[in-house]
Amino acid sequence: MAVIEAKGLKKEFKVKVKEKGIKGSLKSILRPKYKIVKAVNGIDFNVEEGEIIAFIGPNGAGKSTTIKMLTGILYPSSGEMKVLDIDPTKNRKKLAYKIGTVFGQKEQLWMHLTPYDNFKFFSAIYDIPEKEAEERIENFIKVFELEKFVNTPVRNLSLGQRIRAEIVASLIHEPKVLFLDEPTIGLDPIVKDNIRKLIKKMNKELNTTILLTSHDVSDIEKLCKRVIIINNGEIVLDDSMQNLKYNYLNKKILELRLKDKINFEKEEGIDVIKEKGTNLKLELDTRIKSISDVLKLIDPENIIDINISNTPLEEIISDIYKEERK
Amino acid sequence: MLTAVKNQIKVALLSTKYGLMREMTNKVTFIMDVTFMILNNASFIIQWIILYSLKDDIGGYTFKQVLLLWGIAASTYGFAHFSFKKAFSISDTINNGKLDSYLVQPKNVLISCITSDIQVSAIGDILYGYIMLLIYGITIQNFILFSLLSISGGLIVVSIAVILGSLSFWIGKSDSIADTGNDLMVKFATYPDGIFKGITKILLFTLIPVGITTYMPVWIMTEFNITYMSIVLASSAFFIFTAFSIFNRGLKRYSSSNLMISKI
Repeated sequence: MAVIEAKGLKKEFKVKVKEKGIKGSLKSILRPKYKIVKAVNGIDFNVEEGEIIAFIGPNGAGKSTTIKMLTGILYPSSGEMKVLDIDPTKNRKKLAYKIGTVFGQKEQLWMHLTPYDNFKFFSAIYDIPEKEAEERIENFIKVFELEKFVNTPVRNLSLGQRIRAEIVASLIHEPKVLFLDEPTIGLDPIVKDNIRKLIKKMNKELNTTILLTSHDVSDIEKLCKRVIIINNGEIVLDDSMQNLKYNYLNKKILELRLKDKINFEKEEGIDVIKEKGTNLKLELDTRIKSISDVLKLIDPENIIDINISNTPLEEIISDIYKEERK
Repeated sequence: MLTAVKNQIKVALLSTKYGLMREMTNKVTFIMDVTFMILNNASFIIQWIILYSLKDDIGGYTFKQVLLLWGIAASTYGFAHFSFKKAFSISDTINNGKLDSYLVQPKNVLISCITSDIQVSAIGDILYGYIMLLIYGITIQNFILFSLLSISGGLIVVSIAVILGSLSFWIGKSDSIADTGNDLMVKFATYPDGIFKGITKILLFTLIPVGITTYMPVWIMTEFNITYMSIVLASSAFFIFTAFSIFNRGLKRYSSSNLMISKI
């Protein structure tokens, strides 16, 4: 069953255009000019129950705008959408009881209160009876290991602890769908890993459907089975992680450490990425040249060490962004 | 419906409680804020003492009525700013995309937003209002009446702040318009209405409804009049309704933002 459905979803913003300098400012007062920016330009997609889906794209691609429409923050210019069979524009409050949101760049917690008091406040917002709220909070503290800092004011928490508390606060009403907009922004690798574990845990234990946006490819690689790439307001790829890797992993990186320097002639399907002394880094397109083809070009006696790896997912995604821009 | 209202009030009261808890973490600042506001208001009375030493009647008001006028003006302002502080900066909230966190909650956006913070010094205004009532002559009846009129007046003051601030949905920044409107409501509220004539007086009972938030309450407190009381309560309902309508209509034009925001 699809829990999120978007059909021809569009959002346009009217933006004032101003010429340079004070003259431009005066002109814009007397004769203002506007342009229409298509932040989201007719996107269609569905998300099934229990999925963790990556919703990624470069800055300004339309990710946050889409999430804001799906959560009832923004009204779409046109198109249809349903989250848990509810239209966010018509029944925002009803939907709010069933979804959770975490915006990595916007704090929702009261800074001077402890996470525990914040959770109590959020319980009141979602009309959870006192006793039930206390039980849920105790359970979350155990499951998500918050014991160490649950009674420390939020302003004294580290960024990682704060984000964990933010995520748990958004789970207090046990939402069926969770929108996470860059939840790991600004966190160190260990904390990022903790947050990822937490996300996985809530997906597994509560069967929460999660729509995640992130610029960190590791988040996507470690958490999501499906990825939607959005660029310039349009969906450019909607595929499983497996297919994405399979289709785009024709390229291999070959790192060679040689005894003597060689002059490598450029050939079709082989690119010299880096050459420093006797170290050589090649990228090869396996559709044109196989690894053995390349190795035939080098005297085996001259090879000290060799490393063959896939193109990092980060590069694949950035290539998809660039292709779209062209 | 009734449960929804009850839950909304519960959240608003919790916000106030948490706001107070935050302010009370610094005891000295808290007490100073409240005390200095009382002293600040009291200092204005000196000019009236001087004026009434020269004349017995100013604009149809006796000295005691001026004290009552100041009392009502202060407690009306105090109630509005203590309970609904954010109504007076709603233009900034709209412009900087700070409504997002209220929009994802299953509560009324406007109420959640304007009750999300308190102004401590406004406690001083409320206390000052009741001190003036004490000097004027307190009874159970006029204590209830005073409180009711301060609340209804305060709700009008808040509604006007919301209406003017909500213009930001259409014209971008409307903070200066809102600030001017809010200032006018304060400035005219502390003079006897008898000194205003003609068009000014009409404005004070319509566009800048100080007449309804302050003057009529003084008339009612001096001599109870059911017609005036009905006008005050009906006006209060009208302004609240208008504020909700304009804000909700504007909300469809809300464009959010990607600013880094923290809730202090």
